[in-house]
Amino acid sequence: MASSQVVKVLIVDDDVVTRRIYRTMLLRFGFEITEAGDGKSAVNQFLTGNEYDLILMDNDMPGMNGVEATRTLRGMGILAKIIAITADDANSRGAFLDAGADEFLLKPVNFTMLTVILKAFNFLN
Amino acid sequence: MDYVHLRRQAASLRKGLFDQGYLDEQFYQLEDLQDDASPNFVEEVVTLFFRDSARLMANIDQALDKCVKDFNKLDVYMQQLKGSCTSIGASRMKTDCSAFRECCRDENIEGCMRSFQKIKREHSVLRQKLESYFQLLRQAGPVECATRPNK
Repeated sequence: MASSQVVKVLIVDDDVVTRRIYRTMLLRFGFEITEAGDGKSAVNQFLTGNEYDLILMDNDMPGMNGVEATRTLRGMGILAKIIAITADDANSRGAFLDAGADEFLLKPVNFTMLTVILKAFNFLN
Repeated sequence: MDYVHLRRQAASLRKGLFDQGYLDEQFYQLEDLQDDASPNFVEEVVTLFFRDSARLMANIDQALDKCVKDFNKLDVYMQQLKGSCTSIGASRMKTDCSAFRECCRDENIEGCMRSFQKIKREHSVLRQKLESYFQLLRQAGPVECATRPNK
């Protein structure tokens, strides 16, 4: 985990409505939330020295997509858990997992399923 | 004021939105996320959706107005709009967004125009209905008001 006790999450999605919903879901657990609107902004968060425990990564974003961002982050040695979130199915899933994502959720994200994954990652007491 | 009647009207309007296919089960999830810490969450997200979707639709309008149609750009805008619709459970709009994207893939500009007009109509109807719904909820007040005895 990042040095702080609070779980630090980076939400990466180009849709402001979706980010708002994820934010509300995750704030229920007392997580600390940062948002990025595309893959490049997400990568820049780490390049500027920020640390995160968890990344929620959309795929279809302008510029750098989620698969590319995931591959780039893993190439930088970033070990944060990455949950890939996409409206697509098998194609995106395979690409994301090959790029280094830890888990995969289909849109729209189900809060219960997200909770199951967070528990599996030991982010919830 | 008859709070019970207002609540019944709001419930009826809400049921109609699901029965007529304007909303799907994703909207339930938004309602489940509303709590004491975020008491107006659903209305806030819906307001955000209509503000952002209006922006996206203006971008699409501009792109459709251009002499040379950029179907890739149109598809990107519509993919964003579809994502927003999915997130709040705007089911009919989501379907229409998919139809538009199919037309983009076929480079069928007339199909795109027709689909987009439909999306605009659905957007307008959904906004009116949801605004009425939230207005009724605001007038009805919290549930306790409905059971407060008359003075």
